[in-house]
This record gives sequence, structure tokens and C-alpha cells, in this order.
Amino acid sequence: MTDQMGISPPPTARSEILLEARGISKGFPGVWEHLILEHIDFDVRAGEVHTLLGENGAGKTVIANILSGYYGKTDGEILVKGQPVTLESPRDGLAHGIAMVHQELMLVPAFTVAENVMVGLNAPGLSFRKQAVEQQLDDLVAHYGLQVDPRVRVEDLSAGEQQRVEILKVLFHQPEVLLLDEPTSLLTPQEADQLFKVLRAMTDEGKGIVFISHKMHEVFAVSDRVTVLKLGKARGTMPISQTNEDDLTRKTFGETVPDYMERPAVEFTENAIEVDRLIPKGLEKKAPASGLSFALHKGEILGLAGVAGNGQSELIASITGLSGVSSGTVTILGEEMTNRTPRAFIEKGVAHIPERRREMGIIEQMFVAENVALKDYRKTPFSRHTILNREEITRHAEEIVSRFNALVPDLWETECRILSGGNIQRLILGRETWREPPVIIASHPTEGLDAKAIRHTWELFLALRAKGSAILLISEDLDEVMSLSDRIGVIFEGGIVGVVEGENANREQLGHWMAGGKISAAA
Amino acid sequence: MSTLKPWIKRLNPLVESLMAGLIGLVIGALIMLAFGYNPIAAYISLFSGSFGSVYSWAESLANATPLILTAMTFAIAMRGGLFNIGAEGQLYIGALAAVAVSLIDLPFPLNAVAALGAAIVAGMLWSLPVALLKLTRGVHEVISTIMLNWIAHFFAFYLIANVLTDPKRGEKTISIIESARLARILPGTSLNYGLVIALIAVAAILFLLWRTSAGFEMRASGYNQEATHYAGISLRKQVLRVFLIGGAIAGLAGAVQVMGRPPTYAVMSGLPQLMNLGFDGIGVAMIGRNHPVGIVFAAIFFGGLMVGGRIMQFSPGVPLELVRVVEGVIIITLAIPELRRLFTFFLAKFKRGA
Repeated sequence: MTDQMGISPPPTARSEILLEARGISKGFPGVWEHLILEHIDFDVRAGEVHTLLGENGAGKTVIANILSGYYGKTDGEILVKGQPVTLESPRDGLAHGIAMVHQELMLVPAFTVAENVMVGLNAPGLSFRKQAVEQQLDDLVAHYGLQVDPRVRVEDLSAGEQQRVEILKVLFHQPEVLLLDEPTSLLTPQEADQLFKVLRAMTDEGKGIVFISHKMHEVFAVSDRVTVLKLGKARGTMPISQTNEDDLTRKTFGETVPDYMERPAVEFTENAIEVDRLIPKGLEKKAPASGLSFALHKGEILGLAGVAGNGQSELIASITGLSGVSSGTVTILGEEMTNRTPRAFIEKGVAHIPERRREMGIIEQMFVAENVALKDYRKTPFSRHTILNREEITRHAEEIVSRFNALVPDLWETECRILSGGNIQRLILGRETWREPPVIIASHPTEGLDAKAIRHTWELFLALRAKGSAILLISEDLDEVMSLSDRIGVIFEGGIVGVVEGENANREQLGHWMAGGKISAAA
Repeated sequence: MSTLKPWIKRLNPLVESLMAGLIGLVIGALIMLAFGYNPIAAYISLFSGSFGSVYSWAESLANATPLILTAMTFAIAMRGGLFNIGAEGQLYIGALAAVAVSLIDLPFPLNAVAALGAAIVAGMLWSLPVALLKLTRGVHEVISTIMLNWIAHFFAFYLIANVLTDPKRGEKTISIIESARLARILPGTSLNYGLVIALIAVAAILFLLWRTSAGFEMRASGYNQEATHYAGISLRKQVLRVFLIGGAIAGLAGAVQVMGRPPTYAVMSGLPQLMNLGFDGIGVAMIGRNHPVGIVFAAIFFGGLMVGGRIMQFSPGVPLELVRVVEGVIIITLAIPELRRLFTFFLAKFKRGA
């Protein structure tokens, strides 16, 4: 049971293959005519954690979706315990003992945990009694150490607990193979460790686990075998004992990114952003009475780590003018800007690289050139007396596209809608930084970029820093925050729980703060 | 698909519309067959009646003139993400404002310019409450435009019967003074220089939407409010813009109709020459894909159906009701591609909780 926390004996090559993919290919119709997956061979054995490692867009999620019946495949074969099967829906997958836990939470907030489980059962009428389900869930919770009360409403649970509910939901079907798509993205490091123990408890009783991740340290914490994916192709499968971090990093990213970017000392003292006792709208109930305070001087990168949903988006909205402030003040470059409009913040020189890039960062139906000019069209030379100068806009867009290596078919024919996330991010980075703005609010700036582009972005940020830009870097990715920040603050429930010098930061301390400074519930 | 040349891609909507129109004609033919009429003869008379001669072309274009304008009112709103069905009422008010200017004695061309100007201002004023209600009280524009349409309707009846009444004929307003009327392009037909005014408006709206920062902002807000807000563009300003410009054009449509369309140059009681032009404009805008150039073609087609429908009724003897059914089927099939877009647009809006 769960008291066995140590490393279990690695499954031998002789243990039974539960699920196997042979030569799986996948092409999506439409503008991308190349294959998303090319002839992938993959299997998971009883009692092992087999990790799919790769960058964003490598095709990890697609494989998992095909293996669990969510997507069809273009070519190839799926075998369950050696028998070929056809999976036409997730229901087929479940019938064969294959279940998937998606990266996004798919829960009804107003329902209790047990009720959420019952929604998924899709059982006729009253054939399932709630008490019976709750009883079964209690058993599962005790068995795997998942620590969730089935009778609590989901909206009252933390993100980490909700993640556990997602796992409970699929465990209820008693699957033999469990596919988990980036299950740790909403978890603190401590919660992630706890999850790994749960996974180990499952493999101990002979289940096979497919674990999807792009975080190297997790791969070593949990895997028995690892398969590296790059651009839809498998780059090899190996036992974790026969590889090391450098090797895997090279295979995954092609290039390594440094743990800490060296940078010169910068002598600026003027404050670029001062936030004093701020309680943004929407955080009145959650935030501490003292609100949130920090200052960031010119030429400094302040990393703000934290689990998603702890007030990051509200904070960003109030220091970019997107939404209002309930109390407290926001001062930019010495001028109080509390509750001013987004336009006022832009004019003041606050650039914003938003997290929700497709929804907020661009207008998908507009052309590339128009999106590059989204914040500059009203300024000369891009328009004069409100008449747009298309030549200037085109020239400018060409420059941004080539400087940031965005892959764009045409400036005035291509709607941004059809671009990949990485290319959209390149356009946004270009648009927000080309003026070398004094203040940059960057939320997950490198998500979806490859290692080379990540490195370029980091170098760009450091170059802007040297010229005096103040950069507030908001990210859940501790690696990025630790590589780039001069100081690191941790946000928890609308307040800053701790700040540390970037060079001295360590993962455990930050994780402790990310969980609210309390001792983690683990163990 | 991706290898298609850009200019072919631009033709796609046209091909789509032609196919839709063809399907509509076939369904219409089946309906006529079912009722025992000869569809070939009916269609020949329909199209010769609408586009078969200089005279029929002129009448079709004359019918298209106000539709071009009212369709643009709807299209601009759609581009800005709003659903303005208030052209109908704004058109009435615009026509009456143009007539009212004839109460004052002004020399040509001042009187014509003043009448057009008065109609534009009146249309804007009639549209203003829609924007204000939306911005201050959150009233949905569909509700407020429908209400204002009816207010305009009965207000127009009142003005015709009591204020602008022709002293000699109680069933109509005074006529536009002769010197302020829009001259005919082709004598003996209804085609007048209102068409030129409409085409100038088309060019102006084209330029506004795609070559000015105001148009950029309106289109941006229509596509994605969140990103527009993020870009520092005031969404409230776009609401005001969309309704004021839309009202101006709808008002102009009323003026053009009453100043240019023979024989009365007055607003008749019951509003026969104005009724439904605003609503028909919605259909025209959808067929024209909410694009000013597409709207011109759609309006001509629509105007042609109006003229040809009458001929179809006379010569092959298809009853008026069936003519209307066949016309309706053609219009609906033509509008289906845009209706689909409209549906997804509102579905997305609904999902976002707007």
C-alpha cells in the first residue's frame, strides 16, 4: 500500500505489455498538412511509469488522446494486452481499461466530488446511489492516499485537490492504464511529490502509467522509462537509469538553457513600479487586509512565482489598467496610475506580454501586419490624422517578423488565427519590446517556444534590463523564474509571502512559499 | 487549399454566393412546378424584367439605392460586433427631416445639401439613444432598436398627418421643393443621382473601415473585445461610433429615397415607399457578407428581384404570393453562409457570457 514510499523495484522487461501503439501517425486536416505524429511506437508495461517527454507542440498530448480514444488516428495500430483494438471514443478506451487525466480541469464547480464522479458515469437514471459512490471513493482515497473528501464541493477545493479529483474520477473506472497529461502544472513542488507517491502506489499494484511532462526534474523523480518526442517524432525510448539530465535535455530541446543567466550589475535606483497595499478588484475576499506591496526599480527583473489562481491575473490587470483596483495604489515611473485606462498605461510605457496570448494578445481574425501594429497604429508614422499608412505598417511588421524569426506566410493575407502559438508569441514579444519600453509585464513569456527561442527571449530581456527596462516576470515555471530574475517573489492568495535574491533562490524554499508558507500537507 | 493564389481566395465568397443562388433558383423552380407553373418561363420573365433592358436595369438600380445604404448600417454594426436593426426607424426619421427642410426657402444647391444634412443628423439623433442606453444601462441594442423603430413609425404617422401635411392632400407630406430634388440619371425611369450618393457613401465606408484608425478600432472591437481593451482602445467609444455612423447612413437612405424617387417626392401616409427598406437592408448586408462592395452587388440583385417579381406576376401569371415565396427562398439560400457565421458569432458571444 502507500506506506511503501521508497523506489520500487523496476519492472522487468518481462512484465506484461498493457498498451501498445504501433506506427501511430496523425495528421490534422487544414492548413497544417504535415503530420502531427509520424510513425510512433510506444508501449506501457504493467507496474511502470513510462514518461513522454517533449517540448510544447511535440505531440505528447496527441498521443495520449489517441491512446485513450479521444482522437482518431490517421494510421497505425493500437493493441491492448497484445490484442488489436479500435478506440472510437473515450468510452471505448475506458472499456479496455485505459483512462486519461487531461491537463485542464474538467469539473463542475458547484457539484461535490462524488457528484462530479457520477457525471462521468453517464449511468441511466438512479442506478448509482450517491452514498454508494461516496463509499467507493472513500475506499479509493484510503487505498491510494489521495486525500480528498468526496462530500466537499469542488469549488471549495484548491487547484491541487481538484487535480486529485480528476484522478479519482478516472480511478473509479478501475483502469489498468492511466495517462496523465502534465498533471503537475497546477501543483506546488510538494504537491507534485505527493502525486508521484500516489502514482507509485498504482504501479505497485500492477497498473501502467503514462506520464506526460516537459519538466526534466519530474521525469527523473517518477519515471521507469522515458520516450523523448520532438516535432511529432519519437527520438528514442530508454530506461531512466541509462540516461542523464544532459542527455535527455539535448534530445528534447536540441540545446540546453542555463540555470541562471549571468548578468552585469545595473546601477539604477529609480523605481519603475511601486505597488502599495494593493487589493485588485475580484480579490477582495481572498487577499490579506494589508494587500500586496512591492517595488521594482529600473534595470531589474523581478520574478513572481506562484501557483496559478493566486491573484496573478488580477495583479497584472491592475498594473496595466485592464481592470480596476479595490484599494491601494499603483505608481509607474513616479506617477500614480491607480485605476487609469489601459491606454494611459500604454502611453506611460508599460508593455504587457499577456498569458492568454490567443484571446488577449492578438486578434485572431485580423492580419499579421494589423496585429503587429495593434498598439502603434494610432501613432506616427503608422497613421497621420487618423489615416493609416499601410506602407509604414508593412515595413514595421516585416522588421518585427524577421527580427523575431516568426514563421508567417504573408503580412496582409495571413490571419493570425492560423499561426502556431509559438509564432504568435514571437509577434507579441516583438510588438511589446521593440520600443524598448521602461516597464515590461511579462506573463509566461516563453511558453510554447523552443529552446533556441527561449534563449533569445531571455537574452532580449537581459539586454532590455541593461538599458533600464524594469521587467516583472510572472510565471508558474520555476526554472524560468530562477534563470532570469534578480529577485524572486512568491504570490499566494493575493499577497506576497516571500522575496529572495535570484542567485540564492532554491526550489524547496519557493515551493514552501507557493503553498502559502505552511508546511505542506505531504506525508 | 494553401496553394491557392490570394486573388482566387478573394473570389471564394463570390463562388459561394453564386452556388447558393443557384440552389435557391432550383428550389424555387421545384416549388413553382409543384404548383403547376412553368419555372423556365417564370425565371425568364423574372430576369428579363429585372436586367433585360436599359429600363429594367434602371429600375433595379433605383430599387437598390436605398438598400445599399441601409445594408451598410447593419454591416458596420456587425463589423463592430453589434446587431443594429434600427435602420428602419432611422430611415423614416431621415426622410421626414429631409422633407422638413423644404419648409424653409433656400436657394439651390443649399437646399439639397441642407436636406441631406438634416437627414443624416436626424438619423444619428435617432440612433444615439441606442448607444446611450447600451452604455449607461446595458440595454441590448436589439431591444432598443426595435422599440425605436416603432416609435419612429408612429411618430412618422403623426408628422405626416399633423405637422408636415400637404395642405392640399392630407394623405401625404409636402413635397420636396423642386430645386432640391435629386435629378434623374435616365429620364423616364426612377434612377436618380441618389445612386451616386450611395456609391460615394460606399467608398467612404470602405475607406473608413480599412484605411483609418477609427475603422481599425471598430473592426478590432468587433472581433475581440478583450484584446481590443488590452490594446488600449475604448470599447465604449466604438459603440457610440458604430451607432452614430449607422444612423447617419440610414438617415441618408431615407433622404435619398424621398428626394430622388419619383413621382411624389413626399412621404405618403402609411410609408409605402419607405416601409421595410431598413429590414431588407439586413438581408442585403448578409448576402453581401457585410462588405461594402459585396453589398452593392447584393443590393442590385435584391432590387432586381423587386422589379422582376412584378413582371413574373404579370406575364407567366405566377401569383404574387408564390413570387414572394420564390424570392424568399433565393434570398435565404444566399444568406445561409453569412447566417452560419452570424450564428457562430452569437454562440461565441453567448459562451463568453456577453
